[in-house]
Amino acid sequence: MATVQVSEAEKVYILHGIRDDLRVDGRGCEDYRHMEIETDVVSNTDGSAKVTLGHTAVLVGIKAEIGKPRPMVPNEGYLEFFVDCSANATPEFEGRGGEELGTELSNTLYRVFNNKHSLDLRSLCISPGEHCWVLYVDVLLLQCDGNLYDAMSVAIKAALFNTKIPRVNISSDDEGGKEIELSDDPFDCMRLDVENVPCIVTLCKVGHRHVVDATLQEKACSVASLLISVTHKGAVTCARKVGGGSLDPESVFEMTEAGKRVGKALHAPLMALLRQEESLGMKRHKVGFLG
Amino acid sequence: MPTDTKRVRGPEVSQSPVLFGCRPAAVLPSHGPRADGRQRDQADVRPVFVRCGLVSQANGSAYMEAGSTKLMCCVYGPRETERKDETDMKCGRLTTDMRLAPFSCPVRGSWIQGTQDKDLSLMLYESLQPAVCLQKYPRSQIEVSVMVLENSGSVLAHAVTCASLALADAGIEMYDLVLGCSLCQDAGSYVVDPTYAEETSCGSGGGLTVAFLPSLNQISGLQSDGEMSEETLTAGVRTCIEGCYKLYPVIQQALIQALRRAAPPPSES
Repeated sequence: MATVQVSEAEKVYILHGIRDDLRVDGRGCEDYRHMEIETDVVSNTDGSAKVTLGHTAVLVGIKAEIGKPRPMVPNEGYLEFFVDCSANATPEFEGRGGEELGTELSNTLYRVFNNKHSLDLRSLCISPGEHCWVLYVDVLLLQCDGNLYDAMSVAIKAALFNTKIPRVNISSDDEGGKEIELSDDPFDCMRLDVENVPCIVTLCKVGHRHVVDATLQEKACSVASLLISVTHKGAVTCARKVGGGSLDPESVFEMTEAGKRVGKALHAPLMALLRQEESLGMKRHKVGFLG
Repeated sequence: MPTDTKRVRGPEVSQSPVLFGCRPAAVLPSHGPRADGRQRDQADVRPVFVRCGLVSQANGSAYMEAGSTKLMCCVYGPRETERKDETDMKCGRLTTDMRLAPFSCPVRGSWIQGTQDKDLSLMLYESLQPAVCLQKYPRSQIEVSVMVLENSGSVLAHAVTCASLALADAGIEMYDLVLGCSLCQDAGSYVVDPTYAEETSCGSGGGLTVAFLPSLNQISGLQSDGEMSEETLTAGVRTCIEGCYKLYPVIQQALIQALRRAAPPPSES
């Protein structure tokens, strides 16, 4: 991943600051950086969102396509995740350099959504065993400044909220063959219920404390971090230790508790914000990439 | 190529019958003792069989069986890094490669490393790396490869244990052994060290794998999926740690045995 060089003196400065609950940019230990969210930024997708968190920028596009349901679950659609680390973010990602990080991120996303309640997959089914909607969630990292996981999960939640899947009519002809007809009206669409979609909170262990939303400098000072994905009710859908160090069991428990608290607090304002943006409708002033 | 028009051709797409044959396994009892007689809600791990030094070419190797989960691990190194541009002057490089043999699961897999194998390799790497004194091996690399011969559940947890044993057998300096334990949570109760059937039937619950350094009391790897509350997660981690401690004497014994075999004590005569 993109890394920065931090000298010993800088490390001491950051460590002592965090010990006293004051970080280099003035935040407390459980505060996020300034976050900007904009949905419906790419017109060719069925749903899209762009999230900037400090200097980290993530763009998510969701395309819905008709596919065949998995044989084990004939009455459900499914999601496919792909994370692209473009060379825009850091030159290290050029060529196949970003591939490893991309697989790691997308595997984590599969795990985060690997439960029955995150998203109602049954609503994606068109006709059991034959056709279903497949949502291709493509994540593009535009800038890396730490805390990719959190930015990515917020962007995915916003993009899923924004996703409009066209309604389909199934008509069967005389010979028993089925025909799928897409609705012509662009406003006649199905929306997804994103209430239960989890958000990832990454906690970095720095010294004896842990911080939320670490910058690259802070990340360089930490030995290990714990990421947990939390739903709005506080259920944990995925937990993972990332990074080279090991953690004390007690601090793992402390970090899960803090992660749950922070994650629960993140959902309500996010949903309110998304609904508010939605209510503006066509009048909304689009910011795009230059804002 | 001329086709035989008289022949009734099969459908173009087909699915393995195993996919549908697995279904009855989904109705495992959700209370009372488990299918193999172990208790629920307890750190009741399967008996394990471990042995070091099976592969003579490798610097260290280990074989492990837990129930019918069978896996072997080889450690090569420390040796010079192959790619000069990745040489680190200060500390060594640890590489991990974990593969599931195509015949290890009920459904045949492919020989090419898929995303699941890559994910497992990464988890193995993150669990082992904190335990290895890599700063003692500058400019060199240590390769760990795990092959799962039979997947009967809790593969990652046992792979971690097996790999740390192989590293110890290779004489790589480590801070501590790494032990792995996993559990599956299903409708209010949990099963420790689940079998493949239990793993696949726990649809609604979640799975948890913990890698633990027993004498330093540190968690080096943690991974969970599925939906669980924070309290269950905390309780699950505690149970996994308990499970790891049960494994500890067996692994120590295996190491001592391997050492005795390599350097037999002088005879009394």
